[in-house]
Amino acid sequence: MNDATRQTLLQSLPTSFNTGPEWLRALRGRAAEALREQGLPTKRTEAWRFTPVRSVVDTEFSREDRSIPSLMSSLPDSVTARSLRQVLQAEPELLEGRLDFGGAPTHFAALNTALFSDGLWIDVPAGTIVEAPIELTHAIPASSDSGVAYPRVLITLGDNAELTLIEIYAGNEVRPLTNSVVEIDLGRNAKMSHARIHENAGLQVGRVDVRQDADSSYRSTVVTLGGALLRFDVRCLLQGKGAECQLDGAYLVDGNDHVDHHTTVEHQASHCRSAQTYRGIASGKGTAVFDGLVIVHRDAQKTEAHQENRNLLLSETATVHTKPHLEIDADDVICSHGVTVGSLDEDQLFYLRTRGIPEDLAHAILTYAFLESIVDRVSHEPTRTRMREALLARIPHGDDIRGVT
Amino acid sequence: MLKIEDLHVEVDGKPILKGIDLEVGVGQVHALMGPNGSGKSTLAYVLAGRDGYEVTKGRVLYMGKDLLEMPPELRAAEGVFLGFQYPVAIPGVSNIYFLKAALNAIRKHRGEEPLDAIDFMKLSKEKAALVELPDELTKRAVNDGFSGGEKKRNEIFQMALLEPSLAVLDETDSGLDIDALKVVARGVNTLRGPERSMLIITHYQRLLDYIVPDVVHVLIDGRIVRTGDKDLAKQLEAKGYAEVQDAQQL
Repeated sequence: MNDATRQTLLQSLPTSFNTGPEWLRALRGRAAEALREQGLPTKRTEAWRFTPVRSVVDTEFSREDRSIPSLMSSLPDSVTARSLRQVLQAEPELLEGRLDFGGAPTHFAALNTALFSDGLWIDVPAGTIVEAPIELTHAIPASSDSGVAYPRVLITLGDNAELTLIEIYAGNEVRPLTNSVVEIDLGRNAKMSHARIHENAGLQVGRVDVRQDADSSYRSTVVTLGGALLRFDVRCLLQGKGAECQLDGAYLVDGNDHVDHHTTVEHQASHCRSAQTYRGIASGKGTAVFDGLVIVHRDAQKTEAHQENRNLLLSETATVHTKPHLEIDADDVICSHGVTVGSLDEDQLFYLRTRGIPEDLAHAILTYAFLESIVDRVSHEPTRTRMREALLARIPHGDDIRGVT
Repeated sequence: MLKIEDLHVEVDGKPILKGIDLEVGVGQVHALMGPNGSGKSTLAYVLAGRDGYEVTKGRVLYMGKDLLEMPPELRAAEGVFLGFQYPVAIPGVSNIYFLKAALNAIRKHRGEEPLDAIDFMKLSKEKAALVELPDELTKRAVNDGFSGGEKKRNEIFQMALLEPSLAVLDETDSGLDIDALKVVARGVNTLRGPERSMLIITHYQRLLDYIVPDVVHVLIDGRIVRTGDKDLAKQLEAKGYAEVQDAQQL
């Protein structure tokens, strides 16, 4: 406790912010103030009911911020990827109004706003179509030190721009906390595919905020492979007429893993479409949480919104919490939602076994096929392969069932 | 090959099979006929090892071994095949992958080397041709979106690949039009051989015009009430099950 280099998350908040442009100091100051007032989530915080973070809140972490995502790909000339720190020093006006565009952040996202020291801004100018995917890796070096990382990424696509982004969040066993915020701003008719893989992470809280202009398209596929404690929020604000988003996810928990996915889609304009399809598998003593919210504003007529969450509960000691919900204020809409929590299909298992496939392998085949159906929807082939390999590495008999689908 | 002795089976505490005695010799084709609810499919499932069927009495010997002790995959590895009446669809699992995994599991049990992808594809093409199953269907997800006839052809295709010693075909004719029936029957006939026994389960005599059995059994209310040659099937067609049953009771 006397170790000055180790503090709880809230203790690490400075009392005043003295560097950077005025607007950023104000932004950070408001975030810090909100945190001091509200604190971090407790079990009474509705959105965190099933994901207790008391142990994280009480932990004293080292202050070191090892948070710079590495860009693994080269970029076309017209696309810029710049360090947030450098832009904030040299041309801060470029970023004014672009951080926290979704409104004042709370909880962990507010902590990121207050404390991120650097990050990445990828800007795709209007009309630029980036053919090859851009890959970001958030790797935290193995170390005995348990530090906190605050990755911060801003992605801006001009009108008619197109980008495919792959993000890999690698974990290690020393349980540092990664608290990431990715903000995505899509111009008119911009198209973005976003693949995100959470490898077996220690403590991880992540948020993706997407703002969409008219006729833009955002497709997200998240694959989460366990984690001691992982919370991931994705929010899409459909602000322009005719925008669409597709949010897909596949998650797997085993051992004592705890993973929690929250999605929010806000239909703020008319003629927008959204679809969410999340599938999960809970085994061992793992816990999986899914909470999906669709909000349709009063003016968002001709909205089409669908939401589906299917879970396989493979052990008696595993837990699934699922809560899809809709808040609809418009009257001319098509909305649907559905949830299932079940076990592997006995008829399918029996069929496989009558052909000579051992029971454990039959289990693995059906488990993998269940999640792979999400990955199968990713249009970029190398990304699909990568996600499949990530799943196979985590599923029993993975090596034996490569190629099953 | 297969020897069933005084087999009694209950489902949810309700007796379904009430003392079956049946012996299928090596290379023989037996037909098991009976009306709906007589226990035909129950017998098929018990032979394949499905859960939920309680054997309360009797035993089943397959090549001298206690079949009922084996898990389903071991029965398959030992050469027992069940052709399903209603083959289940398995979205997301490719037919061809699953069959390669199945065949190699069986080959491993026999102490044989696994087939590599190239040899397997060659074998698969050859066997698919036997039942005129289009190449495209062999690669799709197992039975997913297959028509009734395609599912049944897929069953016989699998049987051809796995080369069982004992094939139990449960209502393979149901839901087939006459052309599809002929294709399936031709596939089955090609697979007949001196080392392979078959138990063909059917409600109607029609299938037996194309797959001519050595022995015909009539199963009514969980018991075999008549056993005869192929002419017995014709009698059934003419007179119906009720009359055969009445004759039995006299």
